[in-house]
Amino acid sequence: MTFLEFTEGPMWRFAAFVFLLGVFWHLAHWLMRRHPKDLSKPLGSGFAGAVGTLFRHFLPSPHFLSRNWLVTFAGYAFHLGLFALVLFFGPHIEFIQTHITGFGWEPMPYWGFIVACQLAFAGLLILWLKRVLDPVLRLISDSGDQVGTLLTFIVMLTGCMALMQSYDFLRALHMLTVNLWLIYFPFSRLMHAFTWVLSRAETGAVYGRRGSSL
Amino acid sequence: MQPADRRDRRFHRFVVMGWMLVWVVCAAAVTVDSAAAQGQPAAAQATAEDNNPRANFWRAIRRGVEGYSAVQGQETNVLIQGSGENWRMARERLLVPIVSGLLGAVLVIILLYHILHGRIPLEGGRSGRRVRRFSLNQQLVHWFAAILFVLLGLTGIVLLLGRSVLIPLMGKDAFAVSASLSKEVHNLFGPIFILAVLLMLFSYIRGNGFSRIDWLWLKRAGGLFGKGHVAAGKYNMGQKLWFWSVVLIGTVLCGSGLVLDFAVVGQERWIMQLAQISHVVGAVVLMVAGIGHAYIGSVGMEGALEAMTQGEVDANWAKEHHSLWYEQIEAGEGNPAEGTKAPQAGSAPAAGAATSGR
Repeated sequence: MTFLEFTEGPMWRFAAFVFLLGVFWHLAHWLMRRHPKDLSKPLGSGFAGAVGTLFRHFLPSPHFLSRNWLVTFAGYAFHLGLFALVLFFGPHIEFIQTHITGFGWEPMPYWGFIVACQLAFAGLLILWLKRVLDPVLRLISDSGDQVGTLLTFIVMLTGCMALMQSYDFLRALHMLTVNLWLIYFPFSRLMHAFTWVLSRAETGAVYGRRGSSL
Repeated sequence: MQPADRRDRRFHRFVVMGWMLVWVVCAAAVTVDSAAAQGQPAAAQATAEDNNPRANFWRAIRRGVEGYSAVQGQETNVLIQGSGENWRMARERLLVPIVSGLLGAVLVIILLYHILHGRIPLEGGRSGRRVRRFSLNQQLVHWFAAILFVLLGLTGIVLLLGRSVLIPLMGKDAFAVSASLSKEVHNLFGPIFILAVLLMLFSYIRGNGFSRIDWLWLKRAGGLFGKGHVAAGKYNMGQKLWFWSVVLIGTVLCGSGLVLDFAVVGQERWIMQLAQISHVVGAVVLMVAGIGHAYIGSVGMEGALEAMTQGEVDANWAKEHHSLWYEQIEAGEGNPAEGTKAPQAGSAPAAGAATSGR
């Protein structure tokens, strides 16, 4: 078995298993939490509050935008760029079709890949630098934050190295880092990729029920 | 004269002599190469005409005279682009030795200086008072550009020098992998450097305009001639030259890089070759200066690195190296060249508008 066969075979299956199990366990735990019943009279709709908050908060707060414009834009650039790279880059779709879904979809054009790549890399670098340079952020960050960022950067970098798919070693290296990232994911703050929806909706619902909006 | 001043002067003389030596060697290499190349054509032409009646035909092809081809596209009627060979020779026989020689020479000079001279100390010691030098955004932009610069520099060196330097060291197969990954990383990170240059320009342009005091600094070569430290504002002439090099040469690098990276807008080969040469020359100038900048801003000078890691410097450091700027702060003018607000109440005591105690 070659290095590439190992990373795309048994290691990939193990990493995907850990990832799915971990994410499922986290989400199930979150959904099955028991809250004390709110006996107060509702002044508004919790559901409307949840949905409204969920979508309204896609837009940056004007207050933060003026003070932290660089980091705000970097946050959008990184997340949107990474989303496009993971789900709409041709070789990724091919991999998903072969190993997961059995079907594929239209990939983004090459220029779209270039733009997404630039946005993701620039955004991640700026966000990480902000974390290590800002005294307050540095204080409230722990090794988990740094490892998650570093691992994500390495996954992106190895993917970038393997772009031409000319060498099996580079492709295997990318798959190795992807597998490590998947295994680390459920035990880290990378879980925010799933939990942001739940936490934002819950906060919106609580405030919506009280008749106010965030 | 203080011992530190004497050491500074010796250092400056050492650097200037080192540069002169490097340029003399480079100029000699270029002259020898040109002379060797000029001696060949006349003899080769006479031999070709005697032996080959179609010599003029092939000579025309070699000169890039257009013929006809059913294939339509950029320069498809040109069978051989003669200047391509010149470009290849210039790259392999001129650029590669000069670049490797320059980078090696700079590293050796800095290493020797550090061994002989050591770190430039804070003569007055640490005062315990801190002066805000850079805002968080300025620090962020600096490191953003620095990380990209190092990444692009390393991958660029692999691409330029790999064939001559790395293949003998690591073999063809391993080099092929490293060249492939370097090419992809270089091409994908390159366009981000445009953003870095723009951010550098807007974040640091304030205070980097030239004034009379800078010419005095230059006249005395940063302390090489005359007594004592040379007065400087927020940025001295060396720093200003570095800033404008980053902006101007960085613009050349970005422009030529785009020409090379996106060969889809009809640029001809000679434009690509010109872009490649200017890209390499610009990059090497920036790398050589960047190595010096990185050295003096980190291990080469006590108290310098914290300006970029913490945004603050010791008051004595400011007084010794940027006396005019320090005087402005002491006079309560804040950080006039910084482009940031003075520290908020609660984060700094009243000892100067932008100083804080520790």
